[in-house]
Amino acid sequence: MIRLVAGLLIAAVTLALPSVLDESALPVYILLGLAAMVTVGVSLLMGYAGQVSLGQGAFYAIGAYTAALLALNGVPPLAGLIAAPVVAALSALVIGTPLLRLRGHHLAFATLAMQLILLSLAGQLEFTGGDIGLQAIPQFSVGSWEAEGATTYAYLTWAGVALVMLVTHNVITSRPGRALRALATSETAAASSGIPVGRYKLTVFALSAAFAGLAGGIYCFYTGYVAPGSFPVLMSIQYIVMAVVGGLGTTWGAVIGASAITLLLQGLNTLSSLPGMPTYAPSVFSYAVYALVLIVVVLFLPQGLLPAVTDRLVRRRREPSVRTR
Amino acid sequence: MLEVTGVSRSFGGVYAVRDVSLSVADGEVCGVIGPNGAGKSTLFNLITGHLAAEHGRISFLGHRVDRLAAHRRARLGMSIVFQAARVFRGMTVRENAMVGLHGCTRAGFVSAALRLPRHRRDEREIVAEADRALNRVGLAEWADQPADLLPIGQQRALQLARALCARPRLLLLDEPASGLRGNERERLATLIEELRASGLTILLIEHDVAFVTRLADRVVVLDLGQVIADGTPAEVRADPLVLAAYLGQAS
Repeated sequence: MIRLVAGLLIAAVTLALPSVLDESALPVYILLGLAAMVTVGVSLLMGYAGQVSLGQGAFYAIGAYTAALLALNGVPPLAGLIAAPVVAALSALVIGTPLLRLRGHHLAFATLAMQLILLSLAGQLEFTGGDIGLQAIPQFSVGSWEAEGATTYAYLTWAGVALVMLVTHNVITSRPGRALRALATSETAAASSGIPVGRYKLTVFALSAAFAGLAGGIYCFYTGYVAPGSFPVLMSIQYIVMAVVGGLGTTWGAVIGASAITLLLQGLNTLSSLPGMPTYAPSVFSYAVYALVLIVVVLFLPQGLLPAVTDRLVRRRREPSVRTR
Repeated sequence: MLEVTGVSRSFGGVYAVRDVSLSVADGEVCGVIGPNGAGKSTLFNLITGHLAAEHGRISFLGHRVDRLAAHRRARLGMSIVFQAARVFRGMTVRENAMVGLHGCTRAGFVSAALRLPRHRRDEREIVAEADRALNRVGLAEWADQPADLLPIGQQRALQLARALCARPRLLLLDEPASGLRGNERERLATLIEELRASGLTILLIEHDVAFVTRLADRVVVLDLGQVIADGTPAEVRADPLVLAAYLGQAS
């Protein structure tokens, strides 16, 4: 009951926000939603498959370039938006097949390298528009209806977030999800229950890439241009910080982590642009905040924000019944 | 049912298991005993597929399995209860048992994500079967509790329930009695006796000789990676080589 009410409340606020927020706040709201979409995937990958991807920004970029190239070549934007997560997931399958056999942080390094390679390729190749990138991407449209203004993109983005959360929730609470949760504890015991551990890890990697690809697809229609500079490596690190801060392996935690970090960065940005602040303040603040937040969370809330809060609530509710025994 | 022929495995040039052969017949409870370091766990891992054999062959139900991955062997009907408590954290007791049904069910990522009607039907059957298995091992009332909160004896029983959910042809138990208190050990022995009475084939690897001789139809004794005796519990207990191995004397 409480969950239903909370869910409805959150949905209502999410739907109301685009019409309330002003010109400067709306882009933040959209970017927050896009980041949340990617972070849900990162949280799934880190929390269940025990793998770290330092290149989630690359799948975001793949999604963005895919949708942009298709739209610029006359393909309907809706088809482009559907192709974005598909192409991102396929790339993840190709990259992940050799890598997920390895243990440890091979995937992290390889995905980092992949993003760097991809960015420099996109900066060199002609069909991706080089360093200037792709411009004049048409507005998102379905049939004769065309998106106009940031409000529409805000709704599109948060519909994407809802979709990604629903898919994640459905997967986690079913047979493949149980298999994933099992292999997070013990790959040996999971394999002996008939779970193909390698294939499941690869599928989660592809799924997380698809989420990033979808976010990238929406992003390209929203901004109207994509360039290598839109996808810095710091972005990939940011998703990991968001996932860890929110709580790994929790769907809502990913959204909360994305919101917390985005708002924090926004606040610091405002602070550093106050008169009297040195010119290097914005960049110093944003880098420092990742490091500080990550250290503080790992030290004091190792499970992340959401599990820390829910644990406390659950404990409070259970305590009286323990005393009466 | 299970045929192990001339299997060897070494670590850093030292054989942990050397040229071991044993077979388990349909409906039999076969015990493997041996002192510490005899190679019991290595043998177990070779059979289940968590270690690759260097020599020899392993067949199960007529299939050659020694090159198959662990999950493929599981799907052929090998179910395992591990020595270390390997219940899955962050899942309820029922969910733990439900994982055992993974190999017998189909629903993949797509049907789960879309919640197809078939998925709901499957899910109901999985829950029913998991509950039956929990009932069988006496964990029904714990079904909704987090599995990691169970005491160790019940964690072992939960592993057994998970293994039973997989509809095993052969149940492999790796040191199931280790770390258990007297009454927990007794309950486990009773459970295994019930399974044996139902006709399940069991391979029991165990340090505790009394536990094995009570339950097994046939006992294989390992020492220093090799089989030194193979026979009924009474024969094995009278074997001078076995006595020597357990007393630590050279014969």
